[in-house]
Amino acid sequence: MGDYRKLWSNLNMNLEKHDVLCAVLPEIYSKVYLSQNDRPEGMNYFNFVVSEVHGLRIEELDNHKKQGGKVIGTFCVYVPDEVILAAGAIGVGLCGGSQFWIEDGEKVLPRNLCPLIKAFVGAKVSATCPYFQSCDMLVGETTCDGKKKAWEILNDYTPVHVMELPQMKREKNIEDWKMEIKEFISRIEELTGNKITFEKLKETVILCNDKRKALKRLYELRKNIPSPISGLDSLLISQIAFYDDPQRFIQKVNELCDELDERLKSLQPNGKKRILITGTPMAIPNWKMHSIIESLNAEIVVEETCTGTRYFENFVEENANDMDELIENIARRYMKVNCACFTPNAGRIEDIIKYVKEYKADGVIYYNLSFCQTYSVEYKKVEEALNKENIPVMFIETDYSEEDSGQIKTRVEAFIEMI
Amino acid sequence: MDKNYILFKSYNQGLALESLLKKSKIKYTISPTPRQLSVCCGMSIMYYKEDEDNIKKIVKENNIKVLGFYTLNG
Repeated sequence: MGDYRKLWSNLNMNLEKHDVLCAVLPEIYSKVYLSQNDRPEGMNYFNFVVSEVHGLRIEELDNHKKQGGKVIGTFCVYVPDEVILAAGAIGVGLCGGSQFWIEDGEKVLPRNLCPLIKAFVGAKVSATCPYFQSCDMLVGETTCDGKKKAWEILNDYTPVHVMELPQMKREKNIEDWKMEIKEFISRIEELTGNKITFEKLKETVILCNDKRKALKRLYELRKNIPSPISGLDSLLISQIAFYDDPQRFIQKVNELCDELDERLKSLQPNGKKRILITGTPMAIPNWKMHSIIESLNAEIVVEETCTGTRYFENFVEENANDMDELIENIARRYMKVNCACFTPNAGRIEDIIKYVKEYKADGVIYYNLSFCQTYSVEYKKVEEALNKENIPVMFIETDYSEEDSGQIKTRVEAFIEMI
Repeated sequence: MDKNYILFKSYNQGLALESLLKKSKIKYTISPTPRQLSVCCGMSIMYYKEDEDNIKKIVKENNIKVLGFYTLNG
Protein backbone atom coordinates (compact mmCIF):
# COMPACT_ATOMS: atom_id res chain seq x y z
CA MET A 1 0.00 0.00 0.00
CA GLY A 2 1.84 2.97 -1.28
CA ASP A 3 1.94 6.43 0.15
CA TYR A 4 1.01 8.61 -2.77
CA ARG A 5 0.62 11.92 -0.94
CA LYS A 6 3.82 13.36 -2.38
CA LEU A 7 2.73 12.41 -5.90
CA TRP A 8 -0.71 13.97 -5.37
CA SER A 9 0.81 17.08 -3.86
CA ASN A 10 3.06 17.48 -6.93
CA LEU A 11 -0.11 17.35 -9.04
CA ASN A 12 -1.45 20.36 -7.08
CA MET A 13 -4.29 18.38 -5.66
CA ASN A 14 -6.51 19.49 -2.82
CA LEU A 15 -5.27 16.78 -0.48
CA GLU A 16 -7.72 17.42 2.31
CA LYS A 17 -10.73 17.18 0.08
CA HIS A 18 -9.30 14.27 -1.90
CA ASP A 19 -8.90 12.42 1.37
CA VAL A 20 -12.67 12.54 1.87
CA LEU A 21 -13.10 10.87 -1.53
CA CYS A 22 -10.49 8.20 -0.72
CA ALA A 23 -12.23 7.46 2.55
CA VAL A 24 -15.50 6.35 0.98
CA LEU A 25 -14.23 4.17 -1.88
CA PRO A 26 -13.17 1.04 0.07
CA GLU A 27 -16.50 0.78 1.84
CA ILE A 28 -18.62 1.33 -1.28
CA TYR A 29 -16.54 -1.09 -3.32
CA SER A 30 -16.71 -3.76 -0.63
CA LYS A 31 -20.46 -3.34 -0.34
CA VAL A 32 -21.22 -3.34 -4.08
CA TYR A 33 -18.51 -5.60 -5.50
CA LEU A 34 -16.78 -7.76 -2.93
CA SER A 35 -20.09 -8.88 -1.42
CA GLN A 36 -21.05 -10.69 -4.67
CA ASN A 37 -21.00 -14.47 -4.44
CA ASP A 38 -18.83 -16.72 -6.55
CA ARG A 39 -16.98 -14.07 -8.52
CA PRO A 40 -14.44 -15.22 -11.11
CA GLU A 41 -10.89 -15.21 -9.75
CA GLY A 42 -9.84 -13.11 -12.73
CA MET A 43 -11.75 -10.20 -11.18
CA ASN A 44 -8.86 -9.84 -8.72
CA TYR A 45 -6.98 -7.85 -11.33
CA PHE A 46 -9.87 -5.40 -11.57
CA ASN A 47 -10.13 -5.26 -7.77
CA PHE A 48 -6.48 -4.34 -7.87
CA VAL A 49 -7.00 -1.57 -10.42
CA VAL A 50 -9.81 -0.07 -8.34
CA SER A 51 -7.77 -0.35 -5.15
CA GLU A 52 -4.92 1.48 -6.84
CA VAL A 53 -7.16 3.79 -8.86
CA HIS A 54 -5.47 6.94 -7.55
CA GLY A 55 -2.15 5.19 -6.95
CA LEU A 56 -0.46 2.83 -9.38
CA ARG A 57 -1.96 4.20 -12.61
CA ILE A 58 -1.23 7.80 -11.53
CA GLU A 59 2.35 6.77 -10.78
CA GLU A 60 2.55 5.27 -14.28
CA LEU A 61 1.28 8.52 -15.79
CA ASP A 62 3.82 10.43 -13.69
CA ASN A 63 6.70 8.24 -14.90
CA HIS A 64 5.52 8.68 -18.48
CA LYS A 65 5.50 12.46 -18.04
CA LYS A 66 8.96 12.44 -16.43
CA GLN A 67 10.24 10.83 -19.62
CA GLY A 68 8.72 13.64 -21.65
CA GLY A 69 5.46 11.84 -22.51
CA LYS A 70 2.09 13.55 -22.57
CA VAL A 71 -1.22 12.60 -20.98
CA ILE A 72 -4.46 13.43 -22.75
CA GLY A 73 -7.90 13.37 -21.16
CA THR A 74 -10.99 12.42 -23.16
CA PHE A 75 -14.72 12.26 -22.45
CA CYS A 76 -16.33 10.40 -25.29
CA VAL A 77 -16.14 7.19 -27.31
CA TYR A 78 -15.94 9.21 -30.54
CA VAL A 79 -12.44 10.49 -29.74
CA PRO A 80 -10.03 8.15 -31.56
CA ASP A 81 -7.59 6.65 -29.06
CA GLU A 82 -5.57 5.38 -32.01
CA VAL A 83 -4.28 8.90 -32.68
CA ILE A 84 -3.30 9.59 -29.07
CA LEU A 85 -1.42 6.30 -28.75
CA ALA A 86 0.29 6.68 -32.13
CA ALA A 87 1.95 9.86 -30.87
CA GLY A 88 3.32 8.00 -27.85
CA ALA A 89 0.87 9.76 -25.55
CA ILE A 90 -1.42 8.14 -22.98
CA GLY A 91 -5.17 8.70 -23.16
CA VAL A 92 -7.38 8.61 -20.09
CA GLY A 93 -11.18 8.69 -20.01
CA LEU A 94 -12.30 11.37 -17.57
CA CYS A 95 -16.07 11.11 -17.34
CA GLY A 96 -17.10 11.54 -13.73
CA GLY A 97 -19.46 9.07 -12.12
CA SER A 98 -19.40 10.18 -8.49
CA GLN A 99 -21.89 12.23 -6.50
CA PHE A 100 -18.85 13.55 -4.61
CA TRP A 101 -18.03 16.00 -7.43
CA ILE A 102 -21.57 17.32 -8.03
CA GLU A 103 -21.43 20.02 -5.37
CA ASP A 104 -18.27 21.57 -6.82
CA GLY A 105 -19.66 21.24 -10.34
CA GLU A 106 -22.76 23.14 -9.33
CA LYS A 107 -20.62 26.04 -8.15
CA VAL A 108 -19.79 26.86 -11.77
CA LEU A 109 -22.63 25.16 -13.69
CA PRO A 110 -26.44 25.33 -13.56
CA ARG A 111 -28.01 22.68 -11.37
CA ASN A 112 -30.35 21.48 -14.10
CA LEU A 113 -27.57 19.87 -16.07
CA CYS A 114 -26.66 16.21 -16.43
CA PRO A 115 -24.70 14.78 -13.49
CA LEU A 116 -21.93 13.49 -15.76
CA ILE A 117 -20.97 17.00 -16.84
CA LYS A 118 -21.38 18.43 -13.35
CA ALA A 119 -19.19 15.64 -11.96
CA PHE A 120 -16.31 16.00 -14.40
CA VAL A 121 -16.26 19.78 -14.14
CA GLY A 122 -16.49 19.45 -10.35
CA ALA A 123 -13.59 17.00 -10.36
CA LYS A 124 -11.42 19.55 -12.17
CA VAL A 125 -12.37 22.71 -10.29
CA SER A 126 -11.99 20.98 -6.92
CA ALA A 127 -8.59 19.53 -7.90
CA THR A 128 -9.52 16.16 -6.44
CA CYS A 129 -9.06 13.89 -9.45
CA PRO A 130 -5.42 12.92 -10.08
CA TYR A 131 -6.25 11.90 -13.66
CA PHE A 132 -7.47 15.39 -14.48
CA GLN A 133 -4.43 16.84 -12.70
CA SER A 134 -2.11 14.68 -14.82
CA CYS A 135 -3.50 15.85 -18.15
CA ASP A 136 -1.52 18.09 -20.50
CA MET A 137 -4.53 18.51 -22.74
CA LEU A 138 -8.25 17.67 -22.72
CA VAL A 139 -10.19 16.62 -25.80
CA GLY A 140 -13.81 17.69 -25.90
CA GLU A 141 -16.39 17.01 -28.56
CA THR A 142 -19.75 18.43 -29.57
CA THR A 143 -22.08 15.62 -28.52
CA CYS A 144 -24.38 17.84 -26.46
CA ASP A 145 -24.95 21.47 -25.57
CA GLY A 146 -23.94 21.04 -21.94
CA LYS A 147 -20.57 19.58 -22.87
CA LYS A 148 -19.94 22.17 -25.58
CA LYS A 149 -20.19 24.98 -23.06
CA ALA A 150 -18.36 23.08 -20.33
CA TRP A 151 -15.22 22.94 -22.49
CA GLU A 152 -15.01 26.72 -22.30
CA ILE A 153 -14.93 26.52 -18.52
CA LEU A 154 -12.40 23.67 -18.43
CA ASN A 155 -10.18 25.55 -20.86
CA ASP A 156 -9.42 28.02 -18.05
CA TYR A 157 -7.72 25.16 -16.21
CA THR A 158 -6.20 22.91 -18.92
CA PRO A 159 -5.98 23.51 -22.70
CA VAL A 160 -8.97 21.91 -24.43
CA HIS A 161 -9.05 20.75 -28.04
CA VAL A 162 -12.63 20.39 -29.25
CA MET A 163 -13.51 18.00 -32.07
CA GLU A 164 -16.63 18.97 -33.98
CA LEU A 165 -18.70 15.82 -34.20
CA PRO A 166 -21.22 15.84 -37.06
CA GLN A 167 -24.84 15.28 -36.02
CA MET A 168 -25.95 13.48 -39.18
CA LYS A 169 -24.51 10.46 -40.98
CA ARG A 170 -24.43 11.48 -44.63
CA GLU A 171 -21.29 10.95 -46.74
CA LYS A 172 -20.35 14.60 -46.36
CA ASN A 173 -20.55 14.25 -42.57
CA ILE A 174 -18.16 11.30 -42.66
CA GLU A 175 -15.84 13.44 -44.76
CA ASP A 176 -16.12 16.23 -42.16
CA TRP A 177 -15.24 13.82 -39.38
CA LYS A 178 -12.23 12.65 -41.35
CA MET A 179 -11.06 16.27 -41.55
CA GLU A 180 -11.59 16.64 -37.80
CA ILE A 181 -9.40 13.59 -37.22
CA LYS A 182 -6.70 15.08 -39.44
CA GLU A 183 -6.80 18.30 -37.42
CA PHE A 184 -6.68 16.26 -34.23
CA ILE A 185 -3.57 14.48 -35.53
CA SER A 186 -1.86 17.84 -36.15
CA ARG A 187 -2.78 19.10 -32.69
CA ILE A 188 -1.51 15.94 -31.00
CA GLU A 189 1.73 16.04 -33.04
CA GLU A 190 2.24 19.63 -32.00
CA LEU A 191 1.65 18.83 -28.33
CA THR A 192 3.83 15.73 -28.18
CA GLY A 193 6.48 16.76 -30.69
CA ASN A 194 6.08 13.29 -32.23
CA LYS A 195 5.17 12.67 -35.84
CA ILE A 196 2.29 10.25 -36.34
CA THR A 197 3.47 8.05 -39.18
CA PHE A 198 1.43 5.58 -41.20
CA GLU A 199 3.28 2.69 -39.54
CA LYS A 200 2.67 3.98 -36.02
CA LEU A 201 -0.97 4.67 -36.66
CA LYS A 202 -1.45 1.25 -38.17
CA GLU A 203 0.13 -0.30 -35.05
CA THR A 204 -2.28 1.52 -32.74
CA VAL A 205 -5.26 0.76 -34.97
CA ILE A 206 -4.40 -2.92 -34.44
CA LEU A 207 -3.91 -2.36 -30.70
CA CYS A 208 -7.28 -0.63 -30.29
CA ASN A 209 -8.98 -3.32 -32.37
CA ASP A 210 -7.43 -5.93 -30.08
CA LYS A 211 -8.91 -4.13 -27.11
CA ARG A 212 -12.31 -4.11 -28.82
CA LYS A 213 -11.95 -7.82 -29.57
CA ALA A 214 -11.18 -8.60 -25.92
CA LEU A 215 -14.30 -6.74 -24.77
CA LYS A 216 -16.37 -8.35 -27.48
CA ARG A 217 -15.15 -11.76 -26.33
CA LEU A 218 -16.30 -10.91 -22.80
CA TYR A 219 -19.69 -9.78 -24.04
CA GLU A 220 -20.10 -12.88 -26.21
CA LEU A 221 -19.73 -14.98 -23.06
CA ARG A 222 -22.59 -13.06 -21.46
CA LYS A 223 -24.92 -14.45 -24.11
CA ASN A 224 -24.84 -17.76 -22.26
CA ILE A 225 -27.75 -18.65 -19.93
CA PRO A 226 -26.81 -17.85 -17.23
CA SER A 227 -24.08 -15.33 -17.91
CA PRO A 228 -20.79 -16.53 -16.37
CA ILE A 229 -20.14 -13.00 -15.06
CA SER A 230 -22.36 -10.44 -13.34
CA GLY A 231 -23.42 -7.23 -15.05
CA LEU A 232 -21.70 -5.35 -12.23
CA ASP A 233 -18.35 -6.99 -12.93
CA SER A 234 -18.72 -6.53 -16.64
CA LEU A 235 -19.57 -2.85 -16.21
CA LEU A 236 -16.49 -2.37 -14.06
CA ILE A 237 -14.30 -3.89 -16.76
CA SER A 238 -15.78 -1.52 -19.37
CA GLN A 239 -15.18 1.45 -17.07
CA ILE A 240 -11.58 0.43 -16.44
CA ALA A 241 -11.01 0.08 -20.20
CA PHE A 242 -11.07 3.85 -20.43
CA TYR A 243 -7.95 4.49 -18.39
CA ASP A 244 -5.94 1.32 -17.95
CA ASP A 245 -2.81 0.47 -19.92
CA PRO A 246 -4.26 -1.02 -23.14
CA GLN A 247 -1.87 -3.95 -23.51
CA ARG A 248 -2.17 -5.04 -19.89
CA PHE A 249 -5.93 -4.60 -20.05
CA ILE A 250 -6.24 -6.81 -23.15
CA GLN A 251 -4.16 -9.52 -21.50
CA LYS A 252 -6.17 -9.46 -18.27
CA VAL A 253 -9.56 -9.46 -20.01
CA ASN A 254 -8.48 -12.43 -22.12
CA GLU A 255 -7.22 -14.30 -19.04
CA LEU A 256 -10.58 -13.68 -17.39
CA CYS A 257 -12.39 -14.90 -20.50
CA ASP A 258 -10.33 -18.12 -20.44
CA GLU A 259 -11.59 -18.68 -16.91
CA LEU A 260 -15.18 -17.87 -17.94
CA ASP A 261 -14.91 -20.37 -20.81
CA GLU A 262 -14.19 -23.02 -18.18
CA ARG A 263 -17.03 -21.82 -15.97
CA LEU A 264 -19.56 -22.28 -18.74
CA LYS A 265 -19.04 -26.02 -18.56
CA SER A 266 -20.55 -26.28 -15.09
CA LEU A 267 -23.12 -23.47 -15.03
CA GLN A 268 -26.82 -24.27 -14.73
CA PRO A 269 -29.70 -21.90 -15.59
CA ASN A 270 -30.46 -19.75 -12.53
CA GLY A 271 -33.95 -18.47 -13.40
CA LYS A 272 -32.86 -14.84 -13.26
CA LYS A 273 -34.51 -12.37 -15.62
CA ARG A 274 -32.07 -11.19 -18.27
CA ILE A 275 -31.94 -7.43 -18.67
CA LEU A 276 -30.56 -5.22 -21.42
CA ILE A 277 -29.60 -1.71 -20.33
CA THR A 278 -29.70 1.01 -22.93
CA GLY A 279 -29.07 4.72 -22.65
CA THR A 280 -26.55 7.10 -21.17
CA PRO A 281 -23.01 6.20 -20.04
CA MET A 282 -22.12 4.99 -16.56
CA ALA A 283 -18.77 6.47 -15.62
CA ILE A 284 -16.78 4.98 -12.76
CA PRO A 285 -17.87 4.72 -9.90
CA ASN A 286 -21.49 4.91 -11.05
CA TRP A 287 -22.70 1.39 -10.28
CA LYS A 288 -26.13 2.51 -9.11
CA MET A 289 -28.48 0.84 -11.62
CA HIS A 290 -26.51 -2.38 -11.86
CA SER A 291 -26.33 -2.72 -8.13
CA ILE A 292 -30.09 -2.13 -7.73
CA ILE A 293 -31.08 -4.49 -10.56
CA GLU A 294 -28.73 -7.29 -9.59
CA SER A 295 -29.87 -7.16 -5.97
CA LEU A 296 -33.16 -8.51 -7.37
CA ASN A 297 -33.85 -11.73 -9.27
CA ALA A 298 -32.21 -10.37 -12.42
CA GLU A 299 -28.90 -10.21 -14.23
CA ILE A 300 -27.75 -7.56 -16.67
CA VAL A 301 -26.48 -9.32 -19.78
CA VAL A 302 -25.62 -6.40 -22.04
CA GLU A 303 -25.32 -2.60 -22.00
CA GLU A 304 -26.12 -0.69 -25.19
CA THR A 305 -24.29 2.38 -23.86
CA CYS A 306 -20.97 4.17 -24.30
CA THR A 307 -19.67 2.13 -21.34
CA GLY A 308 -20.86 -1.00 -23.13
CA THR A 309 -21.29 -2.09 -26.73
CA ARG A 310 -20.80 1.34 -28.31
CA TYR A 311 -17.23 1.35 -27.05
CA PHE A 312 -16.13 -1.83 -28.77
CA GLU A 313 -18.51 -2.68 -31.62
CA ASN A 314 -17.14 -2.32 -35.17
CA PHE A 315 -13.44 -2.54 -35.88
CA VAL A 316 -11.29 -0.11 -37.82
CA GLU A 317 -10.46 -1.72 -41.17
CA GLU A 318 -6.75 -2.43 -40.82
CA ASN A 319 -6.05 -2.80 -44.54
CA ALA A 320 -4.96 0.57 -45.89
CA ASN A 321 -2.36 1.58 -48.42
CA ASP A 322 -1.62 5.02 -47.12
CA MET A 323 -2.27 7.48 -44.33
CA ASP A 324 -5.31 9.01 -45.98
CA GLU A 325 -7.00 5.65 -46.38
CA LEU A 326 -6.22 4.68 -42.80
CA ILE A 327 -7.70 7.92 -41.46
CA GLU A 328 -10.75 7.31 -43.64
CA ASN A 329 -11.10 3.83 -42.10
CA ILE A 330 -10.86 5.32 -38.61
CA ALA A 331 -13.47 7.97 -39.46
CA ARG A 332 -15.85 5.37 -40.85
CA ARG A 333 -15.57 3.12 -37.81
CA TYR A 334 -16.27 5.92 -35.32
CA MET A 335 -19.18 7.25 -37.37
CA LYS A 336 -20.85 3.87 -36.90
CA VAL A 337 -21.31 4.57 -33.19
CA ASN A 338 -25.01 5.25 -32.65
CA CYS A 339 -25.34 8.11 -30.18
CA ALA A 340 -28.56 10.04 -29.57
CA CYS A 341 -26.78 13.24 -30.61
CA PHE A 342 -27.36 12.14 -34.25
CA THR A 343 -30.53 12.74 -36.21
CA PRO A 344 -32.00 10.45 -37.26
CA ASN A 345 -30.55 7.66 -35.12
CA ALA A 346 -32.36 4.57 -36.38
CA GLY A 347 -29.16 2.50 -36.06
CA ARG A 348 -29.44 2.58 -32.29
CA ILE A 349 -32.95 1.09 -32.34
CA GLU A 350 -31.77 -1.65 -34.70
CA ASP A 351 -28.87 -2.37 -32.34
CA ILE A 352 -31.14 -2.63 -29.29
CA ILE A 353 -33.51 -5.08 -31.00
CA LYS A 354 -30.59 -7.11 -32.36
CA TYR A 355 -29.01 -7.32 -28.89
CA VAL A 356 -32.29 -8.31 -27.22
CA LYS A 357 -32.38 -11.31 -29.55
CA GLU A 358 -28.68 -12.17 -29.42
CA TYR A 359 -28.40 -11.89 -25.64
CA LYS A 360 -31.83 -13.45 -25.09
CA ALA A 361 -32.91 -10.52 -22.92
CA ASP A 362 -36.31 -10.69 -21.20
CA GLY A 363 -36.65 -6.93 -20.95
CA VAL A 364 -35.02 -3.56 -21.56
CA ILE A 365 -34.32 -0.87 -19.00
CA TYR A 366 -33.78 2.54 -20.58
CA TYR A 367 -31.33 4.35 -18.34
CA ASN A 368 -31.36 8.11 -18.68
CA LEU A 369 -29.14 10.47 -16.73
CA SER A 370 -31.22 13.41 -15.49
CA PHE A 371 -31.37 16.32 -17.92
CA CYS A 372 -29.82 14.39 -20.81
CA GLN A 373 -32.21 15.65 -23.44
CA THR A 374 -31.14 13.77 -26.55
CA TYR A 375 -31.55 10.41 -24.84
CA SER A 376 -34.79 11.26 -23.07
CA VAL A 377 -36.39 12.55 -26.28
CA GLU A 378 -35.17 9.50 -28.20
CA TYR A 379 -36.99 7.24 -25.73
CA LYS A 380 -40.28 7.67 -27.60
CA LYS A 381 -38.89 6.17 -30.81
CA VAL A 382 -37.16 3.35 -28.94
CA GLU A 383 -40.31 2.56 -26.93
CA GLU A 384 -42.46 2.45 -30.06
CA ALA A 385 -40.07 0.11 -31.84
CA LEU A 386 -39.76 -2.21 -28.83
CA ASN A 387 -43.53 -2.29 -28.30
CA LYS A 388 -43.90 -3.35 -31.91
CA GLU A 389 -41.55 -6.26 -31.22
CA ASN A 390 -43.33 -7.11 -27.95
CA ILE A 391 -40.19 -6.41 -25.95
CA PRO A 392 -40.96 -5.06 -22.44
CA VAL A 393 -39.25 -1.75 -21.69
CA MET A 394 -39.16 0.69 -18.78
CA PHE A 395 -37.71 4.18 -18.53
CA ILE A 396 -35.66 5.29 -15.54
CA GLU A 397 -34.32 8.79 -15.23
CA THR A 398 -31.93 9.34 -12.37
CA ASP A 399 -28.70 10.97 -11.19
CA TYR A 400 -25.85 9.83 -8.93
CA SER A 401 -27.54 10.46 -5.58
CA GLU A 402 -28.94 7.59 -3.54
CA GLU A 403 -32.15 9.39 -2.62
CA ASP A 404 -34.29 7.64 -5.23
CA SER A 405 -32.65 4.19 -4.97
CA GLY A 406 -35.50 2.70 -2.94
CA GLN A 407 -38.10 4.00 -5.35
CA ILE A 408 -36.17 2.69 -8.38
CA LYS A 409 -35.81 -0.69 -6.73
CA THR A 410 -39.57 -0.92 -6.23
CA ARG A 411 -40.23 0.00 -9.86
CA VAL A 412 -37.64 -2.44 -11.22
CA GLU A 413 -38.95 -5.19 -8.96
CA ALA A 414 -42.46 -4.72 -10.40
CA PHE A 415 -41.04 -4.70 -13.93
CA ILE A 416 -39.13 -7.94 -13.35
CA GLU A 417 -42.19 -9.64 -11.94
CA MET A 418 -44.21 -8.54 -14.94
CA ILE A 419 -41.85 -9.76 -17.69
CA MET B 1 -18.37 -12.10 9.77
CA ASP B 2 -14.78 -11.18 10.57
CA LYS B 3 -12.64 -10.10 7.65
CA ASN B 4 -8.91 -10.62 7.47
CA TYR B 5 -6.51 -8.38 5.60
CA ILE B 6 -2.81 -8.28 4.74
CA LEU B 7 -1.43 -4.77 4.21
CA PHE B 8 1.72 -4.02 2.22
CA LYS B 9 4.39 -1.36 1.95
CA SER B 10 3.85 -1.23 -1.80
CA TYR B 11 1.64 -2.87 -4.38
CA ASN B 12 4.67 -4.69 -5.81
CA GLN B 13 4.89 -6.71 -2.62
CA GLY B 14 1.16 -7.33 -2.71
CA LEU B 15 1.31 -8.61 -6.27
CA ALA B 16 4.32 -10.78 -5.42
CA LEU B 17 2.37 -12.42 -2.61
CA GLU B 18 -0.67 -12.75 -4.86
CA SER B 19 1.20 -14.88 -7.37
CA LEU B 20 2.56 -17.08 -4.56
CA LEU B 21 -0.93 -17.57 -3.13
CA LYS B 22 -2.20 -18.46 -6.58
CA LYS B 23 0.58 -21.01 -6.99
CA SER B 24 -0.22 -22.52 -3.58
CA LYS B 25 -3.94 -22.58 -4.45
CA ILE B 26 -4.84 -20.46 -1.42
CA LYS B 27 -8.07 -18.47 -1.88
CA TYR B 28 -7.75 -14.69 -1.58
CA THR B 29 -9.40 -11.48 -2.76
CA ILE B 30 -7.64 -8.25 -3.62
CA SER B 31 -9.44 -5.41 -1.87
CA PRO B 32 -9.08 -1.68 -1.35
CA THR B 33 -7.51 -1.18 2.07
CA PRO B 34 -10.28 -0.47 4.60
CA ARG B 35 -10.12 2.99 6.07
CA GLN B 36 -10.13 1.60 9.61
CA LEU B 37 -6.76 -0.05 8.94
CA SER B 38 -4.94 2.71 7.12
CA VAL B 39 -5.51 6.20 5.76
CA CYS B 40 -3.36 5.43 2.71
CA CYS B 41 -5.19 4.41 -0.44
CA GLY B 42 -4.12 1.19 -2.05
CA MET B 43 -4.52 -2.55 -2.23
CA SER B 44 -4.61 -5.18 0.46
CA ILE B 45 -5.29 -8.91 0.33
CA MET B 46 -8.29 -10.50 2.04
CA TYR B 47 -7.84 -14.08 3.17
CA TYR B 48 -9.49 -16.82 5.22
CA LYS B 49 -8.38 -17.16 8.83
CA GLU B 50 -7.68 -20.87 8.44
CA ASP B 51 -4.99 -20.08 5.84
CA GLU B 52 -3.21 -17.54 8.03
CA ASP B 53 -0.39 -19.78 9.25
CA ASN B 54 0.31 -21.02 5.74
CA ILE B 55 0.34 -17.49 4.35
CA LYS B 56 2.66 -16.30 7.14
CA LYS B 57 5.03 -19.09 6.23
CA ILE B 58 4.97 -18.10 2.55
CA VAL B 59 5.54 -14.44 3.48
CA LYS B 60 8.54 -15.36 5.61
CA GLU B 61 10.09 -17.81 3.16
CA ASN B 62 9.83 -15.36 0.29
CA ASN B 63 10.75 -12.27 2.25
CA ILE B 64 7.58 -10.40 1.27
CA LYS B 65 7.42 -7.04 2.98
CA VAL B 66 4.06 -6.80 4.70
CA LEU B 67 2.83 -4.12 7.08
CA GLY B 68 0.92 -6.73 8.97
CA PHE B 69 -2.04 -9.11 9.27
CA TYR B 70 -5.27 -7.54 10.54
CA THR B 71 -8.75 -8.69 11.42
CA LEU B 72 -11.82 -6.48 11.32
CA ASN B 73 -14.81 -7.59 13.30
CA GLY B 74 -17.83 -7.72 11.03
